[in-house]
Amino acid sequence: MELAVGLLGLAVLLADLWIAPASRRILGWGAAAVLTCVLVFGLGSLAPQSGMGFSGLYVVDPLARFFKAFFLLSGVVVLLMTVEYADQLAVGLSEFFALTLFAVTGMLFAASANDLTMMFVSLELITVTFYVLNSFQRGKLASIEAGVKYLILGALASAFMVFGIALIFGSANTTQFSELALRQRELSGSRIFLTGLTLVLVGLGFKIAAFPFHGWAPDVYQGSPAPATALLAIGSKAAGFVLLLRLLFGAVPEITAEWHRLLGALAVLSLLYGSLCAIPQRSVKRLMGYSSIANAGYLLLGVAVVSPAGSVAVLYYLGAYCFAVLAVFTVLCVMMNSSDTDDMADFAGLGMRSPVLAGVMTLALASLAGVPPLAGFIGKFLILRAVIAAGATHPGYYGLAAVAVIGAVISLYYYFGIVRMMYWGGEPLERLAISVTPGAGIALLLCVAGIVYLGIAPNGLLQLSADAVAGIQPAAASAFKPTGH
Amino acid sequence: MQPSDETRSIPNSIMPPLTDFLFYAFSGLTLACGLLCVLNPFSRNPVTSAMFLVLTIVSMAGLFVLLHAFFLAAVQVLVYAGAVMVLFLFVIMLLDLREEERRRFKTFTLGTGALVVAVIAGLLVRVLSGALPVSRPGPGIEGDTKVLGRILFEQYLLPFEVLSLLLLVAMVGAILLSKKDMK
Repeated sequence: MELAVGLLGLAVLLADLWIAPASRRILGWGAAAVLTCVLVFGLGSLAPQSGMGFSGLYVVDPLARFFKAFFLLSGVVVLLMTVEYADQLAVGLSEFFALTLFAVTGMLFAASANDLTMMFVSLELITVTFYVLNSFQRGKLASIEAGVKYLILGALASAFMVFGIALIFGSANTTQFSELALRQRELSGSRIFLTGLTLVLVGLGFKIAAFPFHGWAPDVYQGSPAPATALLAIGSKAAGFVLLLRLLFGAVPEITAEWHRLLGALAVLSLLYGSLCAIPQRSVKRLMGYSSIANAGYLLLGVAVVSPAGSVAVLYYLGAYCFAVLAVFTVLCVMMNSSDTDDMADFAGLGMRSPVLAGVMTLALASLAGVPPLAGFIGKFLILRAVIAAGATHPGYYGLAAVAVIGAVISLYYYFGIVRMMYWGGEPLERLAISVTPGAGIALLLCVAGIVYLGIAPNGLLQLSADAVAGIQPAAASAFKPTGH
Repeated sequence: MQPSDETRSIPNSIMPPLTDFLFYAFSGLTLACGLLCVLNPFSRNPVTSAMFLVLTIVSMAGLFVLLHAFFLAAVQVLVYAGAVMVLFLFVIMLLDLREEERRRFKTFTLGTGALVVAVIAGLLVRVLSGALPVSRPGPGIEGDTKVLGRILFEQYLLPFEVLSLLLLVAMVGAILLSKKDMK
């Protein structure tokens, strides 16, 4: 499957040679179509078997399948979004498609990584691709700045991670998650091992933009081209989380159980920092950057409860988050075609100018804020329920739940700042209706369907997430504390 | 590699003093040159920094030799000290770096940098000094190229192939970002 996507990327690069610059958008359509085929047929053929390959480095299990579907789906939407955004990119459109595909390939590998080397290599593939995607609009200072910031901090995070991997290998003599799981009791006494693990977590914390490692998020989100930001917000974060889940629960569940306090603290800090800093933002992309930090906080809460219920909530939350963020960025792409900035003032009067776009945006923001009956509400609800259930064993979790509720209230305020701007923000600057191309239309339709469907009928995805979590590792499942259900 | 396993399993105290001495010499050299590369009080010339980087790399190659990783040491010298550094020097020569020479360090930057380094170094020293001497035999990946090749193409085949994709991405990206004007 990864092979198919990687080859598709190469094919797009080659096809660029024969296609006239004016009609490069076709490539985006083609790539999106093929990616959809890979999603449908690849998952269908992969469904029955579970197993390992490449001497245990590569694993296919329900968790991997869940995330592969997730990444392919966001890849399709991002490609459609890029077609919409083509005018802004001006140059190198087909390379943008190809790089997006390579990033998706890296994410697919990350979903199946069962080894520290594999994890590092796939994360590097994602990160290196984003160095380029972020600085794609070379003419814009902000885009270059985003690229350089991501490059420097990304290199630093990679250095931490590789040093951590070296320490883990030095003390455990293996890099495979399953072998680490077998020896964790003996290893948990080794300080070198624990330091290595901490350093690897620092690297992953950078990927998911959690609190002490979040510094890059707002600037990079603001400066990068909108489709790149969308992929960064979803793909990079989800890749970080799938590896986090695999490492923490698949490889070292016992150590994780002892570290729940640290994880909880990180979660609370990310949540509060992201929410509070998002309030005064005027740029929608920057706001999404802070909101992404806050959402990393929620997701970490789900990890910090160290229970299957928490992990299920994390997966569900990611699904809901994915659709909402994709919808927001697709609307942004459409908007930026006519105005070139993402300032909140541009959204003034969007409700009159283009009721459909405004409606989609409102729906997506409401889902992000957690308004019932949308997908985001179910995600937040599941996380809160897991946290409160864990409160039975450790009263500190009630505090976490309280902070999560406060964060949700704050987020309601800043998300609805945009909504207020759209409907009651005064006269629009220009009265011309914004036309939506078929590509963006399909993307928006997909997102809206996802948001509403997941909100009204959460059981399907819930079942999938539960299967995925149950399959993380048979050995690990027994080590979970018997909290939740 | 027979000898490597033996030397590894012997605790530090019985190790031949020469190896010990060389280890500390090379480590000290690596650290000192690395520091001088980024923070040279005598010269702000980028070429000097690059030269210190070469020294750092060479002394790291020395450390590899002490670990019996001869191939890695050779590659380190050939690729990094040789090819990559030549490229660096070319770039330095082509750019006009007068500006950089005039720039002064800010006290704040220096202070925070020193603080971070001190904290991380302190943490590592505590961890490493507290840890028992590792007496497990090495994994045996060092040494001759045959073993290395076998491991690379059998056990770690998949990451190796992913790396090839990564290099392609890096190449496409570099061309894309540096090309003067795209059609």
